[in-house]
Amino acid sequence: MEKLKLNIKIFFEGAYLSYVGLFRWLRPTTYLATLVFSPLTQMLFFVLIGTYAQGNDKAYFYVIGNALMNAAMSGIYGVTMSIGGDRWDGTLPYLFGAPANRMMVFLGRAFMHILNGMIGVLIGLMWGWLLFHMDFSATNPLALLLTILVTTFSTAGLGLLMGCIGLITRNVMFVNNTVYFVLLVFSGANLELSTLPKWMQVVSNYLPLTRGIASARAIIAGHGLADVSRLLVEEFGIGLFFALLGYTLFRWFEVTAKKRGTLEVF
Amino acid sequence: MSLLKSVKQNLRVIFMAFEIEFRQSFTDAFVLFGIIVQPMIVAFMALWMLRDQVADYAIFVVVGSGMTGLWTTLLFQGGNSITGERWTGTLEPLSCAPAPLRAVVSGKLLASISQSLLSIAFCYTFISLMMGLPVSIAKPWLFAGSILLTVVAFIAFGLIIGSLFILNPDVQRFQNGLEFVVYIFSGFLFPIALLPMWTTPLSYILTPYWAARALHAASSGSGSNGEIYFCWAMLIAFSVVYAIASKFLFKSILRKAREDATLNMQ
Repeated sequence: MEKLKLNIKIFFEGAYLSYVGLFRWLRPTTYLATLVFSPLTQMLFFVLIGTYAQGNDKAYFYVIGNALMNAAMSGIYGVTMSIGGDRWDGTLPYLFGAPANRMMVFLGRAFMHILNGMIGVLIGLMWGWLLFHMDFSATNPLALLLTILVTTFSTAGLGLLMGCIGLITRNVMFVNNTVYFVLLVFSGANLELSTLPKWMQVVSNYLPLTRGIASARAIIAGHGLADVSRLLVEEFGIGLFFALLGYTLFRWFEVTAKKRGTLEVF
Repeated sequence: MSLLKSVKQNLRVIFMAFEIEFRQSFTDAFVLFGIIVQPMIVAFMALWMLRDQVADYAIFVVVGSGMTGLWTTLLFQGGNSITGERWTGTLEPLSCAPAPLRAVVSGKLLASISQSLLSIAFCYTFISLMMGLPVSIAKPWLFAGSILLTVVAFIAFGLIIGSLFILNPDVQRFQNGLEFVVYIFSGFLFPIALLPMWTTPLSYILTPYWAARALHAASSGSGSNGEIYFCWAMLIAFSVVYAIASKFLFKSILRKAREDATLNMQ
């Protein structure tokens, strides 16, 4: 029981401190610029291309897709920087020297970014409502919230994996940016998946976000939770898979780096 | 010192800064992402979204996506051209050197923009060879002239952005968001007529808008020669205005460095 309490404490303390560590040096303007202004401009860009090509009727398609991409922004960039930050700031040896439960430490890094991502998605949808008069009258709000939660979890799972890659490469931003833009193409945020070549559809099936975006579109169109439950379970499963893969890599990195003395080698 | 000698010295400084920046940034994965990966992904998405909807869409996408690469590189490389010196602790020595800071930054900008021209080449190759779409330039000489003036105009614009970012770090906090703002207002991949009327003056004061308009018109042949010459005139006029404005901004930078000693404070 004591051990469980300690692990829960490590989880939440790690979650809070890594988040504060990431943002404490920033001013509110940076936070707003990153989480409100930047996603809005990205959304506007794709909505405008989309409506230019296919007419105003398709605006919702792009709004929802890009609003959900905000989950990836927090999940990938935020989580990666939280994990990789330990290496850049020189705190990795202390972390690996501590007796704390590694699983709790590792998963804790994603916790605040899941909440952050959810807020980002909600802000994105709010922009859709304000600027494109998106109709939420048929939407089940709880189902939508659950969809957003599951989607941010799954992208954070990929972020945990990317964060571990950040521990073994110097070009973490290159990897992050590429993964983010690949998701932009393969997740169906801006392209109808059914129109893509077959091989791309197969790839998109194994990525987080794809099912989350599809679920959000269905729920906003008026479908119930039961209609998208399978998609959400699969989305959760994909996130869990990436998180566990990331954890395995994290442990492997710790063992190998300790053995070879390469903990801080860049 | 004679004018000729001064020009020769400045050109030497520009060339040296160009060479160093060119060599350094070609090993930076983040730069390569902005020049190669991102424009190609944007090109793919735009191609998919605009196909069968826009006449001459292949060359339109080549130019538009290439312009996104040019702007992204200018924003991040050019925007950080002075701030980067602050990060590496070389800004104050640089501002005390007899070589004009503006010449050094101009050389760095020339290197970044020359590299980013590869974006158009990569997008061209990607769309014509890999996607198998016919891509031809309707007015090659006018296209080449437009490219040349685009480089000059982007250097002038970069002098403004770089100095604003160092003088007011709050502006730089919006760096990520500004990427898509200029994509939107410059009509890289859709006409600015889609935007509300009040935004049109904002487009008119951006050199990327005139550059994109000239390049689109020359590549697709959709605009008359007179329209292209008008865009050239606007590019030259704004380059002169930006160059003059940058003189005052650089004066302010040097004053902060030499008199206030506050340049290194963020």
